[in-house]
Amino acid sequence: MSDEIKVDKTMDLKGLPCPQPVIKVSKGIKEIQVGQVLEAVTTDPGALADFPAWARTSGNEILKTEQGSGLITFWIKRVK
Amino acid sequence: MDREKREKLLGLFQSKLDRPMRYYLDVCTRCGLCKDACFAYASVPKPEYTPVWRAEVVRRIYKRYFKLSGRLFPFWGESKEVDEEALKQLNQAAYTCTGCRRCMMYCPFGIDTQAIQSIAKLLLIGNESEPEILSMLADASIEKGKSLDLYKDSFIQGIKHLEKEVVAKWKGESDQVIPLEVVGADLLYVALAGAHSIIPAASIMNAAKENWTLSFFEAVNFGAFVGDPRKTQLIAKRIIDEAIRLKVKEVVICECGTAFRVMKHLVGRQPFEVSHIAEVMARYLREKRIRVEKDRIKGVMTYHDPCQSARNSGVIEEPRYVLHQLTSHLVEMTPNREYNLCCGGGGGLVALENEEFRQETGRAKADQIKGTGATILATGCENCHTQLGFLNEKYHLGVEVVFLTNIVANSLVLES
Repeated sequence: MSDEIKVDKTMDLKGLPCPQPVIKVSKGIKEIQVGQVLEAVTTDPGALADFPAWARTSGNEILKTEQGSGLITFWIKRVK
Repeated sequence: MDREKREKLLGLFQSKLDRPMRYYLDVCTRCGLCKDACFAYASVPKPEYTPVWRAEVVRRIYKRYFKLSGRLFPFWGESKEVDEEALKQLNQAAYTCTGCRRCMMYCPFGIDTQAIQSIAKLLLIGNESEPEILSMLADASIEKGKSLDLYKDSFIQGIKHLEKEVVAKWKGESDQVIPLEVVGADLLYVALAGAHSIIPAASIMNAAKENWTLSFFEAVNFGAFVGDPRKTQLIAKRIIDEAIRLKVKEVVICECGTAFRVMKHLVGRQPFEVSHIAEVMARYLREKRIRVEKDRIKGVMTYHDPCQSARNSGVIEEPRYVLHQLTSHLVEMTPNREYNLCCGGGGGLVALENEEFRQETGRAKADQIKGTGATILATGCENCHTQLGFLNEKYHLGVEVVFLTNIVANSLVLES
């Protein structure tokens, strides 16, 4: 978990088949309030492009992305 | 529904009315031969799961607005107004059909139910009542194409992280384990977002000493799933433009049936060949560019033909050639090949919230798998893999569901 960001919901998306990670994140973001932050952990390298593209089209904001040990973690703020 | 909206929807309907479509809408005699062909009806014999029922609302709207009898005598016969009720029925029909086109194989007139459902989907898009999630995913794919430079660096970084796993499987050394942006590469491989779609294929292509490059884009086409022709083309265009820019000779689509069918058959003639990864693996094996150890994978194996790559695109013999190199214990399903039963996950259905539907309508497929006595179930499509895994769990089939690329990569005989 990132030290600077307060996380309101965490989603484990490791090993899910296409396109479940983006689907689950788009559902998960609706379960938090505007201004709150969703932490999503995935193993999909394609998510590094797919999540930011989804965030732009859905009007949400990716605050931070981290990679390590095969895991990719996104911190996404619900904007609208 | 106000007049403006109705006219908009009828305009969309009209846009689909080419000669084959009019034929599909005109010639059905309701003989019912299609009903037993549908995996959904074969599992749960509800009238609403028959292809003829699915097409009926579209057909009645067609009669009402595009046939003389319906225009002159709208209250006579079987014509139907475009209204909220009709749209609700269209939604139920269109997004419970995987577009597998098995019914077309049995219809004496060759009526293409998927084509008819494309009208239903277009009307629902026009009414903004299509499944939001599919449109959202299509929009994200298009956005990625428009703003690739924003995402390129992080994608490259993510791919670098995968290279260790590829080397572990391939045990080779190269400056480029997963090559990107190789101008003049022979082959552009278009994967899905997950590592499972990249690592085995990379291992195989490296073992074959292929001059290849990985696409920045995911193969899956959500525009095709939702039924939006404009988005389908925009999503495919990202890959076409990339292939042309890199001057590749061949675009190879990963184990994703719809992505393959769109690129192979629905985007017009392009200056490159289009192949399914199963075709490429068969080619490597025939040309002895890769070697595999037969029966390294233990157990009786069966193969599920994905509808979009097999029945609808003709990739039928190549997966079998590959499997016969891997195992002495291949058992075919009955029926199979172009007559294989749909698993029930295609057409984007696995992306929707419909587990109960997918479970009940997957019963025929589950019975078919059970009948083989296999312990390993191979397939070559992501949607099928997901749905078959789901059926495996729900019906306690006791099989391991595997991708073709994965079992080939795991059977590679590598030079020391």
